[in-house]
Amino acid sequence: MSEVDMAVTKPEMMKSYIWLQTADGSIQQVEQEVAMFCPMICHEVIQKGLGSSKNYAISLPQRVNPAMLSLILDYCRFHQVPGRSNKERKSFDEKFIRMDTKRLCELTSAADSLQLKPLVDLTSRALARIIEGKSPEEIREIFHLPDDLTEEEKLEPLKNTTDDPRIRLLNRLYAKKRKELKERQKLKNVEVEEERVDDRSVDDLLSFINGDGGDSKGIKTSKSKKKNRRRKDQQKSTSTNEAIKNHNKELNGLNSVCCSVEIGQKSWSGVGASSNLHDVEDDIFASKNELDDGEIDDEIDPALKEKIDREVEDFARRLNSDWPERMQEILSFGHERKPVHFSLNGNGSLRRYASM
Amino acid sequence: MSSVIKQREPSRLPSKTDAELDRISNLPGHVIDQILSRLPIRDAVRSSVLSRKWRYKWATIPCLVFDNQCFDVSSQDQTFIKNKLVNIIDHVLLLHNGSIHKFKLSHRDLLGVTDIDRWILCISRSSIKEFVLEIWKGQRYKPPSCLFSCQSLIHLELFNCLLKPPLTFRGFKNLKSLDLQHITITQDVFEKLISSCPSLERLTLMNFTGVTHLVIDAPNLQFFDIGGIFEDVSFLNTFHLALVSIGLYVNIDNDENDARDNSSKLLRFFVNLPHIRRLEIQSYFLKYLAMGYVPSRLPNPCVDLNHLSIRIDFDDLDENTAALCLLRSCPNLQELEMLARPEEQASMERSTNFWEDDHWSSLFAHLRMVKVLGISGVKSEMDFIKFLLSNSPVLEQLTVKPVSQEGEWELMKELLRFRRASIYAEIIYLDP
Repeated sequence: MSEVDMAVTKPEMMKSYIWLQTADGSIQQVEQEVAMFCPMICHEVIQKGLGSSKNYAISLPQRVNPAMLSLILDYCRFHQVPGRSNKERKSFDEKFIRMDTKRLCELTSAADSLQLKPLVDLTSRALARIIEGKSPEEIREIFHLPDDLTEEEKLEPLKNTTDDPRIRLLNRLYAKKRKELKERQKLKNVEVEEERVDDRSVDDLLSFINGDGGDSKGIKTSKSKKKNRRRKDQQKSTSTNEAIKNHNKELNGLNSVCCSVEIGQKSWSGVGASSNLHDVEDDIFASKNELDDGEIDDEIDPALKEKIDREVEDFARRLNSDWPERMQEILSFGHERKPVHFSLNGNGSLRRYASM
Repeated sequence: MSSVIKQREPSRLPSKTDAELDRISNLPGHVIDQILSRLPIRDAVRSSVLSRKWRYKWATIPCLVFDNQCFDVSSQDQTFIKNKLVNIIDHVLLLHNGSIHKFKLSHRDLLGVTDIDRWILCISRSSIKEFVLEIWKGQRYKPPSCLFSCQSLIHLELFNCLLKPPLTFRGFKNLKSLDLQHITITQDVFEKLISSCPSLERLTLMNFTGVTHLVIDAPNLQFFDIGGIFEDVSFLNTFHLALVSIGLYVNIDNDENDARDNSSKLLRFFVNLPHIRRLEIQSYFLKYLAMGYVPSRLPNPCVDLNHLSIRIDFDDLDENTAALCLLRSCPNLQELEMLARPEEQASMERSTNFWEDDHWSSLFAHLRMVKVLGISGVKSEMDFIKFLLSNSPVLEQLTVKPVSQEGEWELMKELLRFRRASIYAEIIYLDP
């Protein structure tokens, strides 16, 4: 259309239009002031001179399909009018945003590709409102997210994108945890006989430590202990560090263990990949509590007793030497906590590090 | 009849339709950041267990807010709550990956000073733009020096803190908004702070200790809100200051000062506020302005002033004089609010006939809305309302609210009688 042509056309025709082409090939024309409300379109018009005719239509990003485009243009059409009051705009926005979640996500994507920040803000807020306060299952349901994190995966080390010593430390902690998980798997398959032997030493150690060596209390409870034993296959791993630490906790006060279990379970389970650490540990501690009665097997033969004594000494030695060093290593990134003080105040986090 | 499987299997492979239906996971990173930033921190971090793609999305949110809604408190044990809070913040900061633009810490039970030092050190390394710290209990907290080296700060808000920047402190080049409440700061530190933040546009200062003479040297300042105890306030170089709200929380004794100082507080106050648009004079500040010589009107009228709010004792002659000077000096005033201050003791010069006299040589040409609140129906107050009504030709609304029910009827009866210059004027009476 040349300048001369434009001069003789009717006044209504003088309104300028911008031509837009969506990814599917369809072309439409939109009033200039409405289209120019989108920074991306504005940029194309001014910088590249596109959009003035059908042949030179502005190709919109792929994320903008015709349905979304019409929604966005509705938004622009309303808001580009300067005379509207804030109340009017707010009221329009609230009505505008009422749509199903799927369309809301698409709209966010489309608005973002057109760099229409006010609309992105509006849709983000709406999406946040949907997510807020819901449980993970509900959110997955609404947004059709796959539940593809396994128990173990939730303990996977964080991607070590930077060579951050803190990340490395965390990875080490998780590696230890995974190893312990594997051990648990293995031990579940061990025969009952072996279980019993191990169990006895643990119980005996405990009772010895608690000062109940062979008194009537222990004798009475032997039967119930056998029943409990089968459930307690988690703490067979005397070979791992886990056992030492667990015993340590027993030493420090049975009450604190009880309290911390509750605290641990209620504690904030949302911190990234470590959320399941709590659950795993709580299992251990929950079952640990059942040992608290200081039960002993009343049928100890002397040979076994000697073995037990030796183990106790060994155990005590390890407690005194190994433990503080291990704690120091784990807490070496600068917390001001003395290595021996843990679990006294029911501090869930400390336990987590401690058990690694 | 197929049984409904209520429990989902833990690791179900995503089907094709699922991948198509999931629109949200593939939104661009900055959009997800926006969405997660608008959630309370708890919900934002919990998104990491949603699915594989979502595991690390929370770690780049630019906005961390730790406040009372952080976690549900089921126990009353303060130490426990505090430890849990410390635990949470340590974890989030440790696992966060990316720059933090906004950090807010405002929890009832927050105490541990060394913990806060550690966190400030951590975020000072990450180009923080907005920092809000509110210490609800305990003594004034002194932020560590690393806070003062955050040159990317745009908004700084501190509550219950002691400000003592290091000697190497050269100001915040990008700071636009400063909000200090319940703080301790020395006179020169304050002056240096204000004058070394050239971009400062908003300043809020409430309940401060250690500063008696407020010297505000801020060329870009637009908003100024202050309430506290001070002896003097002066503005230097505040060409753009548009909104000023000042409250002087201590009753000053005028008589003492008369002899010493004959300069006009009023004149000095307004000399550097040429474009003031909104002024709120609270508590005893009008008394301060009335100190020294009070002209009948200001030499340069405040042409941009369209909203004025004054707390006044209608029986005090000095205050009335100052108020009248102000009213005469804002020709374009549109909204006026007069709040009556109940006087504890009678001052020396009481005047009850001030507003009776005809002071007026010009009218309130643009005054549309007036509020007169907290009155008790005494003569000086009623005279003022009468004066106002007969000098506001375009008045649309006068709202009157007494302080108590005593004498309500008398007050209303009097109000009815007053002549109104504006035919559109509505008198709205609010219950006390």
